[in-house]
Amino acid sequence: MTDSTPVIRVDRVSRWFGSVVAVSEMTFEVRPGITGLLGPNGAGKTTLLRMMTGLAATSTGTVTVFGEPVRDNPPLYRRLGVMSEHETVYGFMKGREFVTMMGQLRGVERLEEAVDRAIERVDLTDAQHRPMGTYSRGMRQRMRLAATLVHDPEILVLDEPLNGADPRQRVHFQHLLRQLAEEGRTIVLSSHILEEVEQLAETVLLVVNGKLAASGGFRAIRAALDQRPYHVRVVCDAPRRLAALAVGIGSVEAVNLDPDGGLVILSRRVLDLQLELPRLAQSAGISLRRVEPLDDSLESVFGYLVEG
Amino acid sequence: MGSVYRLTLRQLAGRWRLAIMTLLAALPVLTAALILRSTEAPSVAEFETVALSALLAGSIVPLVVLAIAAAAFSNEVEDRTLANLTLAPLPRWQIAVPKLMAVLTIAVPFAAVSAFLTGHVAFLADPKATVAVTVAAVAAVALYGSAFTWLGLMTTQAIGVGLLYVVLWEGFFSGFVSGVRLLSIRHYALALMHGLDPRRFAGTDHLSLPAAVVVSAVVFGGFLWLSIRRLRRMDVP
Repeated sequence: MTDSTPVIRVDRVSRWFGSVVAVSEMTFEVRPGITGLLGPNGAGKTTLLRMMTGLAATSTGTVTVFGEPVRDNPPLYRRLGVMSEHETVYGFMKGREFVTMMGQLRGVERLEEAVDRAIERVDLTDAQHRPMGTYSRGMRQRMRLAATLVHDPEILVLDEPLNGADPRQRVHFQHLLRQLAEEGRTIVLSSHILEEVEQLAETVLLVVNGKLAASGGFRAIRAALDQRPYHVRVVCDAPRRLAALAVGIGSVEAVNLDPDGGLVILSRRVLDLQLELPRLAQSAGISLRRVEPLDDSLESVFGYLVEG
Repeated sequence: MGSVYRLTLRQLAGRWRLAIMTLLAALPVLTAALILRSTEAPSVAEFETVALSALLAGSIVPLVVLAIAAAAFSNEVEDRTLANLTLAPLPRWQIAVPKLMAVLTIAVPFAAVSAFLTGHVAFLADPKATVAVTVAAVAAVALYGSAFTWLGLMTTQAIGVGLLYVVLWEGFFSGFVSGVRLLSIRHYALALMHGLDPRRFAGTDHLSLPAAVVVSAVVFGGFLWLSIRRLRRMDVP
């Protein structure tokens, strides 16, 4: 995927509202596959997505999609499917009517077939003839996704798409997104649910305070943060002895004893630790019961960045 | 364009909105009937001042149109569904024009029927005067419709701003500052009425008919163009 041609290019894009800088000097490229946009509320994710879809102007910089400027370029919108974070729907419309209208607006040929296909994809065939005002939040989101898919877009931009979905719907949604990505589509999704981004996205864009704090694969981002120590928790049968030995490892910065008898080792080069620790334990006759990284989740990476 | 038009019709044709509009549209007809039943028959000038200028052109038509046109875009801006339209691969005029057409589809029948009946009752079935009043009302709907549809794109407070324009600018300032009339939709519409039946509505200082037609066309087209331009440039929520 990483060798493919960039589909979306964001080049030194900034956006400010009065004196508030919402997005500052962001540059990145998006390629086919799933890209997750992650950041805390107010980080500038939605503003960035709106600029990437042409809904909002940039203050400076350019956004191009398939090499063309995305702003004020209606013909290009045929290739884009956008689902905003706002869940408002036309309550007076039935689900099928809504998807049909969106298909008509996007000039879909063989409309009825396309509508059937889109609604089937989100598993709402049974509810398609009900007014959308009667839908649950999760159902509204799925029908909105059907409307986003009806014209078979090459790019999907989804702002917090899993909002309001129950666990079963989440699983279905994740499966669907993976399927869409496998078909060669470019999907950009934002989410504040870190686990979901971690599970879904091949590439992560971390946005903090309107700036691109990091981008790339999740582990690549973590590796780029080597200036911060990894926390590794070790459970063994002789924690004090192991602590004394572990401080001798060059990459270890500190060793703390847990009240529950475990050790927490801070290391800048976790690979060294992975190699050295078992060797030390074996030579000292210490039995290691568990070795687990405490901060190898996206949430902890994100936390570091926010703190930084 | 058909999809945008049908969607807008459904959005605007709420039961309450239509009921209020019916009530408003009936007011000038009732007023005309009451004036005629009074012991002293009014002069054309008196009738024009009360029923046509103040009531029909001065409040009913602009208020009816404001209630519809301001909502054509501003409701979608407020509930953030406008992106459904602006992200469609349509030239912006194919969004603005059907929106305006839907506004006119709803507002014109109310204003036209109200104006026709008012003119018919007041001028005892004088067809020329009745046609002049009706055409002027329809023209006013088109002009206010174009202006207030644009206003709905510019601000979510379109109803308030529109009311200020109708009440303060057209109703108050234009009464004693003659230059204000040059920027008043109400006076363009009245000028059309005067021009179409100069015999009945003689002796006033309105624009000539050709001037009124040209100004009306410029205002209608101008606000429509501004709406299209706004759709191209605005940040869509």
